[in-house]
Amino acid sequence: MKNNLWKVLAVFVLASILLVACGGGAAGGDEGGEKVTASGFVCPEPETQIEVTSQELNLFVWTEYIPTEWKECFELVYGVSINHDEYSSNEEMYAKLSAGGSTYDLTLPTDYIIGLMIRQGMLEELDHSKLPMANYDPNYLDLSFDPGNVYTVPYMAGNDAIIYNSETVSDPPESFADLWNPEYAGRMVMLDDSRVIIGMALLTLGYDVNTTDPAQLEEAKNKLAELVPGVKLFDSDSPKTALIAGDVDLGVTWTGEAFTAQQENPAFQYIYPTEGAFLWQDNWVIPTGAPHPDAAYAWISYTSQGSLFWLMLRDFPYIVPNKAALDYAQANETELYDAYMNSPITNVPEEAIAAGHAIEDVGDATPLYDQIWTEIKGSE
Amino acid sequence: MLKRLRENKSSQGTLLITPTLIFMVGLLIIPLLLTLIISFGRRSADGNVIYTFGLHNYIRILGISTACEGGQSLCFDPLYANILRRSLALAFNSTVLVILLAYPLAYFIARAHPKRRNTFLFMVLVPLWTNFVIRVYAWMMLLRTQGVINSVLGWLAGLVGIPFAPFEMLYTPGAVLVGMVYEFLPFMILPIFTSLEKIDNSLYEAAADLGANPIRTFLRVTLPLSMPGVVAGTILVFIPVMGTFIVSDLLGGRQVILIGNLIQRQFLDARDPTFGSAASLILMAMTLIVTFFYTRKFGFGEEIVAA
Repeated sequence: MKNNLWKVLAVFVLASILLVACGGGAAGGDEGGEKVTASGFVCPEPETQIEVTSQELNLFVWTEYIPTEWKECFELVYGVSINHDEYSSNEEMYAKLSAGGSTYDLTLPTDYIIGLMIRQGMLEELDHSKLPMANYDPNYLDLSFDPGNVYTVPYMAGNDAIIYNSETVSDPPESFADLWNPEYAGRMVMLDDSRVIIGMALLTLGYDVNTTDPAQLEEAKNKLAELVPGVKLFDSDSPKTALIAGDVDLGVTWTGEAFTAQQENPAFQYIYPTEGAFLWQDNWVIPTGAPHPDAAYAWISYTSQGSLFWLMLRDFPYIVPNKAALDYAQANETELYDAYMNSPITNVPEEAIAAGHAIEDVGDATPLYDQIWTEIKGSE
Repeated sequence: MLKRLRENKSSQGTLLITPTLIFMVGLLIIPLLLTLIISFGRRSADGNVIYTFGLHNYIRILGISTACEGGQSLCFDPLYANILRRSLALAFNSTVLVILLAYPLAYFIARAHPKRRNTFLFMVLVPLWTNFVIRVYAWMMLLRTQGVINSVLGWLAGLVGIPFAPFEMLYTPGAVLVGMVYEFLPFMILPIFTSLEKIDNSLYEAAADLGANPIRTFLRVTLPLSMPGVVAGTILVFIPVMGTFIVSDLLGGRQVILIGNLIQRQFLDARDPTFGSAASLILMAMTLIVTFFYTRKFGFGEEIVAA
C-alpha cells in the first residue's frame, strides 16, 4: 500500500514538473533593433532619457493596476529588473511602509492618506525637472492634498457612486438618500469602507464627509442602522462579481468596477448621486530612503509618455489624468479613445466633478469612525 | 571546546534546543511582550503609539463607561462583549458540527480494510493541497443565487416540471457555518482516526464475549478510548476558528464583525495599534481559558502531537 501512495505522489510531481516546463515559453527581446514584449508590443523609445545606474526597481502598487507591457518595456529599455509587490488597501500599504525597513522605490497612495504620509516624513520631495509635468492635465495637479505637487504626481483618478441593474431595478435611485428605499433591501452591495459608507450617510443628512463632530456622526450612525440590515454584501475587493452574478441588483461601487460590469452586461447603469460622488486620485510617490530613486524617476517619466500610458485606457478603465495619453489615443487608438470619451463613467460630466467630495484624514476622529462602523455591523 | 561538548550531556542538550529557543523567544515571547506594552499605550492623532501606562483599552473592550446617559456613575456598553460572544458562539457551533461529521468518517476509515485506509486518508488530505482562500471562493461559486447548486436544482425541477425559486444561500450565516466546517474538517478527522486506530481489536472481542451489544460497546469502549482524539481535534479546530474571519467575510458578506475583523481593523483602518493589541491579548486569554478548562475536564491526548 505504501508503495502505491508513492506512485501516486510520483505521478503528481512529474505532472507538475511538466506543467512548469510548458509554462516557460519564449520571452520577448531585441528583434532587429526594436524592443518587443512577449505579447508583441513594440516598446517606444523614452522621450526623455534619464540616466539610471541602479540595477533594480522595487514597485509597491495596487493590485491589477499596471499594464504588463510597461514592466517588460522598462526592463528592455533601461536594463533594470523590476520587483513588484501589491497591496489592496491604502491602510495595508501605510502599515507596511510605517513598519520601517521598507525598500520600495515607488508606491501609489490615494489622496486622503498622503497628508498623513507627508506629516510622518515618509515621502521624498520630487524633482520636477526629471518628470514630464506637461503631460498631466492641470485639473489633476496642485490639489489640496499636495499643493504644488511637491511629493506626488497623478496616476489615475476615479470616484465612488451608485450602480444599478436597469433590468431588475424598475425604480432607479438618483441620490444616496434613495438607497434607503425599502424596495432595495436585501439587494444591495456596498463598499466595505467605513469612510465612504458613513460619509454617504453624512451627505444625506447634509453634513460634511470629513466631519469630526460626534453629534453629527451619531446621527449618521442611527441613519445607517436603518440601511445596513438591507445590505446583502460589503465588498471592496470585487463588488462587480456579485452584481454580474445576479446576487445583488444595485449598490455603491467605483469607476473601474462599474465600467467592467457594464462591459459584461450593458444593463448596468452608473449614476452620480445628487449629493455628489466621492472623488479620489491615486498618485506616484517616492518613499523616503528609496534605494533606487534614479530608476523611480525613469519609470514615472517613461510610463507617463502618451505612447505607453494609453495602455491604461485598454487595461484599466479609470479616469486618465494624463493628457498626452489621451492625445496619443485620439490619434492612434480611435476605438479606445471613443469608448473612453463616450462613457460617462470615464469621461465624468463636469458638474459631477464639481459636486464631488474628497475624503480626508480625520486624525483623532479615526477610531470614532471605526467604532461607529463596528456598532453598525455589530447590531443584529 | 568540542571535546568538552562531546563529553558533557547537558550542554549537548542545551545546544540542541538552542534553535527552538531562539525561535520561541524571538518570534513569540518578545512580540507578545511588545503587544502587552503597546496595549497600555495611547494612540496619537496620526495613529502612532504613545507609550504610557493605562488600562483604558481594556476598559473600552469590557465596555465599562463613566459617561452614561441618565446620570448613572457607571454603565456597561456591550458592543465589544457582543463581538466576543458572537465569535465564541460561531467557534463553538463550528466545532460541534465538525465533531459530529468527523467522528463517523474517522470511525469508518479506522475500521476500513488496512489496504484502503491510506487511500481514504489521502482523500481527506487532498483538499489541503489547495489554498484555504481558493477553497472558500469555490464555495462561493457553488452557493450563489445563480450558482452551481441552484442551477442543478433548477434543471432537475425543470425536468420534473415543478416551479423552482433559487435558494438564497450565499451571504447568510448558514453559508459561513458550511464554510467553517468544510475548512476545518480534516483537522478533526486525523486525530480522531489516530486514537480509534490504536484501539486493540481484542477489546471489541472481549466486549462482545461479555455480552455487550454494539451500542453498549461503542459507548463503553470505543467512545472513551477515542476521547483523547476528540480533545486534540477540538483544540486544533476551536483555536483557529476563534480568530478566523476570512470565511465569514467571503461567505457571510462581511455583514458582521468578528473578533478577528476587529483586531485587523485596528491595525489598518482605525490605525489604533494600542486598542488592537489589547483586543489580541483578550482573544488569546479567552482561548487559553477555554482550552485550559476543556483539557482539564477531558484530559490531554498525545494525538495533538500525532496530528
